[in-house]
Amino acid sequence: MKFLDKLFEQQTRQLAQRSSRRGMLKTLGGLLVGAGTIPLLPVARAAAEAPGHPVEEGDPGSCDYWRYCAIDGFLCSCCGGSENTCPPGTEMSPVTWIGTCRNPADGRNYVISYNDCCGKSSCGACLCQRDEGDRPPYRPDKTNDINWCLGTSSAAYHCSTAIVVGVAFEEK
Amino acid sequence: MNHAFKGQCWLAALAVFSLSGGVSAAQDRPPPLPIEPTGVVESLPASYPPSWFLVHDAGFFHMGDGKVYVIDTAASTLPEQVKGTFNVSMIGNISQSVSRGEIYATETFHSRGSRGDRLDVLTIFDRQTLSPRGEVILPTGKRFMGMPERYAMVLLDNDRWLGVANFSPATSVTLVDLDTRKIIGEIPTPGCVLSYPTGKRGFSSLCADGRFLSTELKADGSLAKQTRTDPFFNSDSSPIYERPAIIGTTAYFPSVAGLVYPVDMSGAVAKVGEPWNLVPESERAENWAPAGIGLIDRDDQGRFYIIMHPGATNGSYQGGGPEVWVYDAAGKKRVLRIKLQAWGLTLAVSRGKNPVLMVVNPTDMSLEMYNTSSGDFIRTISGFGQETPLMVHGSK
Repeated sequence: MKFLDKLFEQQTRQLAQRSSRRGMLKTLGGLLVGAGTIPLLPVARAAAEAPGHPVEEGDPGSCDYWRYCAIDGFLCSCCGGSENTCPPGTEMSPVTWIGTCRNPADGRNYVISYNDCCGKSSCGACLCQRDEGDRPPYRPDKTNDINWCLGTSSAAYHCSTAIVVGVAFEEK
Repeated sequence: MNHAFKGQCWLAALAVFSLSGGVSAAQDRPPPLPIEPTGVVESLPASYPPSWFLVHDAGFFHMGDGKVYVIDTAASTLPEQVKGTFNVSMIGNISQSVSRGEIYATETFHSRGSRGDRLDVLTIFDRQTLSPRGEVILPTGKRFMGMPERYAMVLLDNDRWLGVANFSPATSVTLVDLDTRKIIGEIPTPGCVLSYPTGKRGFSSLCADGRFLSTELKADGSLAKQTRTDPFFNSDSSPIYERPAIIGTTAYFPSVAGLVYPVDMSGAVAKVGEPWNLVPESERAENWAPAGIGLIDRDDQGRFYIIMHPGATNGSYQGGGPEVWVYDAAGKKRVLRIKLQAWGLTLAVSRGKNPVLMVVNPTDMSLEMYNTSSGDFIRTISGFGQETPLMVHGSK
């Protein structure tokens, strides 16, 4: 699910480059709380892993985290869940949209499933919209504009996960 | 007599003096206000002025409490601007019928707020009272629920029927008879979404394989024929927006890269014309492209309006932009370039001879009004309770 992330994350960057910081960003400031600028303490998982083990790096609580390349929604990591689990008392949607994101720690592209967590109203924290590879709703597999709380007992959207479901084919 | 008691005496004397003075002044005052009736509730005119807009706040942070504001953009003070509201629960969509005096809204409710039994409903609002005048219970768990769209519902056959687009994620259209307020049937649109009015009594849907699926209906609402057009775009490499501006019977679909496809919807089957570039050749190095949510609309003079942004990148296509470009659709020519105060996410244009442009500014979620002849900024409308006005509509 998405829409507003743009306002928070992406537009912040664009506006910052293009407009008077005094005027624009002052007004944005209030909205930005909770978006991509949440306190980030990078989790250096890669460094902690022994050679030969899968590696990744970054902060799942940050919109910049590599798995969130096609996301649009509230990050479950900020809502009591994690990048691949739902918060307590919610229900994970079995159907969803996917993205293909590059893991900077190993240079591979992964297929990411953005399963929504449902059954409670909007989490409200860490709104993130990246939209890379996103498509309009005529491509259901790639659209984050839909409320993907489909096939769940409640249509209430709460937050979005980003689950690694496979290694993508290398582009030739 | 102590000091405290003395003080009390003085106060008492002052009170008596004031009272007698007050009585004498009352003789010079106008008569008292009449006693007012209680329980009076306002209503709106049957015909909305062109300056009125419907502002759909989807309630992104509390989707069960979405709301549509009826706003008079010609007024200069907030109490004059706000004409009324109605609720639309769970990011529904709305559609207006002037001839029936109704506004249709797709809504979803759970019996216990965010949980419990689910009910999907088409609510029929009265345009004058903004109250439900009827409803049609929709098939559970099917109706399209996502970012607000202008064509998730389609009025057909002179507003006799209403098609409601479904996405479960199986795609179809539920056809409703607005006279009887009964469901006529459900027409599958496999691989294709939404519903754009087509021909005398049909609609087209946009497909994953880059073509239209055009549906023709019989006089009783049953399916007559479905036709798939040739592919005209690639949803991976050259996607288009699902959001057209429809002028007369031509739907103008912008592409993410900045082309626009004119599609003739006058016949039973959508007919895709030659695309043309929205960006003048001399400006293409700046990588201008459309962007936004409700990013395009049209006026009654044959022009369409679209939000544009420079430096387009993968993922920027829904982020809005700093300018609105206005085109003479038939002439395939840009006629005005409006530099916004800050940024635009969604826009709408009023009907009539002297249309005004409304733009949602996402930096503070205010509405900005612009003159469509000069491009001049007119005023900001804000502070009326809006939080996430993701879609706006000119009143019909």
